[in-house]
Amino acid sequence: MKNPYIPYQVNIIDAWYEAPGDRCIKTFKVTFADEKVWDTWSHKPGNCAMVGIPGVGESMFCISSSPTEKGYLRFSIMKAGKNTSALHELEAGDSFFIRGPLGNNFPLDEWKGKNIVTIGGGIGQAPLRPVIQWIRDNRADYGELELIYGARTSQDHCFKTEFEEIGSSDDCECHLSIDVEEEEWPHFVGFVPSLLMEVAPKPDNAIAVTCGPPVMINFVLQNLEKLGFTPDQVYTTLENRMKCGIGKCGRCNVGHLYVCKDGPVFSYAQLKEIPEAFA
Amino acid sequence: MVDVNKLREKAREVISREDVRELIGYRPGTYGFRARPAFVMGPDDTGELIFTPACVNNLASYIVLEEKLPVKRGEEPDLRKVAVMVKGCDSRALVQQMEEKAYDRDRILVLGIPCRGVVDMAKVQAKYPDVLEMGEIALEGDKFVLSFNGTKEEVPREELVADKCLRCRYPTPLVYDELLDEEVERFADDDFADVAELEKRAADDKWAYWEEKFSRCIRCYSCRNVCPMCYCEDCVLDRLQPQWMRRSVDISENTAYHISRAYHLAGRCIQCGECQRVCPVDIPLMELNRKFYKDVEDLYDYEPGTNVENPPLLSTFKVEDKEDFIM
Amino acid sequence: MALKKLSKEKVGEALAELSKFRLIAPAKSDDVVVFKQISDPAEAYLEYGNSTVPPKKFAFPQTETLFRFVTGSPDLTAKNVEEEGTTVIFGLRPCDARAMAIVDKLFSWDFDDPYYLKRRELTTLVGMACVEPPSVNCFCTSLGGSPFGTEGLDLLLTDMGDYYLVEALTDKGEKLEETLSSQLEDAPADDEKKAKDMAAASEGKIRRSINTEGIPEKLPDLWENGLWKKVSAACLGCGICTFLCPTCHCFDIQDEVEESGEGRRCRMWDSCMFEEYTVHASGHNPRPTRKERTRNRINHKYSYYPAHFDVIACVGCGRCINLCPVNIDILEILDQVVDA
Repeated sequence: MKNPYIPYQVNIIDAWYEAPGDRCIKTFKVTFADEKVWDTWSHKPGNCAMVGIPGVGESMFCISSSPTEKGYLRFSIMKAGKNTSALHELEAGDSFFIRGPLGNNFPLDEWKGKNIVTIGGGIGQAPLRPVIQWIRDNRADYGELELIYGARTSQDHCFKTEFEEIGSSDDCECHLSIDVEEEEWPHFVGFVPSLLMEVAPKPDNAIAVTCGPPVMINFVLQNLEKLGFTPDQVYTTLENRMKCGIGKCGRCNVGHLYVCKDGPVFSYAQLKEIPEAFA
Repeated sequence: MVDVNKLREKAREVISREDVRELIGYRPGTYGFRARPAFVMGPDDTGELIFTPACVNNLASYIVLEEKLPVKRGEEPDLRKVAVMVKGCDSRALVQQMEEKAYDRDRILVLGIPCRGVVDMAKVQAKYPDVLEMGEIALEGDKFVLSFNGTKEEVPREELVADKCLRCRYPTPLVYDELLDEEVERFADDDFADVAELEKRAADDKWAYWEEKFSRCIRCYSCRNVCPMCYCEDCVLDRLQPQWMRRSVDISENTAYHISRAYHLAGRCIQCGECQRVCPVDIPLMELNRKFYKDVEDLYDYEPGTNVENPPLLSTFKVEDKEDFIM
Repeated sequence: MALKKLSKEKVGEALAELSKFRLIAPAKSDDVVVFKQISDPAEAYLEYGNSTVPPKKFAFPQTETLFRFVTGSPDLTAKNVEEEGTTVIFGLRPCDARAMAIVDKLFSWDFDDPYYLKRRELTTLVGMACVEPPSVNCFCTSLGGSPFGTEGLDLLLTDMGDYYLVEALTDKGEKLEETLSSQLEDAPADDEKKAKDMAAASEGKIRRSINTEGIPEKLPDLWENGLWKKVSAACLGCGICTFLCPTCHCFDIQDEVEESGEGRRCRMWDSCMFEEYTVHASGHNPRPTRKERTRNRINHKYSYYPAHFDVIACVGCGRCINLCPVNIDILEILDQVVDA
């Protein structure tokens, strides 16, 4: 069996900034340096990987591409600490290392035939992107797809060009927002939970998936409840400081669940039972 | 010896004051002769309070150990005083903290306890390893009287007393709002004979000595966390960017850790000896701290934690400061 | 398997025989008893109570290399635990051996931890029964252990006065008996019964206890209970209770690079009682105070671990009670849990 602590080298095919600022977000499109890894690699939307550089460290990120996108993996990474700062220095042609796939995934098989609404904020769109991509690539298996997304400003929007493309397609209803008024902004102005109430998706035969800053998630969950969604219809992802990624080092637990191994994907019904879940 | 009823009465009076939020004192421990810190939040909690020679902890550490969470929207920060009981040695930690302007004097209410010496709990434990039920220790004259399991035993003071008490220069607290007992005159002095002994050793010999000690260190950081002077919000040990010290545990990093800590305490350590007391693997940390203490006293005629008006030694320059040790 | 005896006169000879392996035994460092690798049998200090630091570090080192690298080079070289060779831990207490058996479950859970498991495979545990409980704060019998417990052990020694009674418990233990065939003799016929009586007598001397029944199920319901604030009020946030715990297994992973560019990724013991343990890169800390950390420590041992592995991650060795600088006493906390 493979040593779960030894990472694979990946080469950066392309890298670009999604959002500027102190906490800028950079997307990396990578492929394995050893092409044979693709033969055994298999991930699902929701799965994560430990991403890092030997000599600097590792941190956990969701894989922000769907397995239906062949030949590459994507990671969208916000600059926050030592490791992410070092990763942000890298460009196409450089390489870094990943361990994975880790964690669980969104139960997309169970969701077949259902209407799906994704509600994202800021970098929280990263784990939702593969869900949307998966559904678009398996369009006949699912009902309606609605995308709700917001960030502080239009500049802070991740995946801007993709939203434009998605918005003009028939696959998906795309609802965008920014927190504060900007000139020539054609979409909603206000916080994501308000946009959710404006869009008011119907709970019948539906699943809502939400990711974003804790404050946003908190209000989104409340609003989904108002819209009639039951806790088992609502999914989110958690994050915590992680080191091993395989349920041993201890630190990422919320209650008895390890976010790295039992998560990152949880239903709200599961999390309601765990008082530490939103700490 | 402070009368326990008087102590509780005073505590009740203090914690009932509107401007006092919490009182930190001592209460009996969970087994044997142990005593432990008590956190009194209201007048009804005062019934357990004690002061005996088992009260070894330096409670001044808790003043700087307090965890301040962000004040919730719509709430006011609680600015009431924290009352704290201190022995003479412990009071010097408060003085040094205030010299360093760690907080304002009016944030704390100091209940001073003149003290004739506490026990070395490790010595008590070694002498009475089988005592589980609560025992009591009192100091009567030059003897400790230990009561347990319905019996009483007298043990000469020097057999069980903590080493630091044998060279205590300040048995009566140097800062207090209320003194809970009669002042105790200075009954001992410190000649640093132990440091002189250590200084005499050859370098190789010293290295072998410390190598054995530091190789046992497990880096639990109890010496740092218990220290009333280790209150940096962002400790050099915990920094990752840049990382000054590795977390790996080996003789090199362990040595770096203890040397760094000793340097950070030069001119600041007030000799409460808590670091050495709590070390689970018996590293004689006070030998390092006392070496610095003696040097600081010799070089600058300065004793940390003795006068709130003193500026911190290593952040001041005086024209008459000695320079002959500078290469 | 017939019981053997090892005369005390031959202990030195036996240890010399075993020192062809990596031999770990209790030894004195100044007055502190520590487990360490010994080459000279005279270093072994077998008349001890229990070691301050448990011998867990010989299965789970406090710092251990996962792989080596040179900065900029894609080649990563995993540490080969095999190189450490066969290890014998001689004279550990039954509680500490049982702790290893408990921690084994975690390291083979879903993902096998190759370093830990290889080292365990290479290690033979030779236990030393507690004829007298080493401390007033021992409570192994409350957790399903015993001063003469054999769980996790390959061989158990019992001090019978001028010799040790030797009982092989596993194949590894039997193999070790073969290695020591020149030092071992047949044990007197009535020793088995004698040892049983001694075990019962020693169990009877264990003075502290807790009824753990129902605690794992009850703990989650006490999440918001005021007891956590109270029991953690004096906590200094140091790592004594966790580092000295034979079942605590949490670790950090860090990279270390030398000026030459050579480096290693290694893991080291970490403690849930440290503030940095859970702090996010953003600065947010889901366990912001010692109250949350203490609650997690107790829950991890007495609720989460049994939820996953059907066993409480505590063996009642009493170290955390004996050495806590502020006398935080896990049995007092558990009593409060029971009473809450």
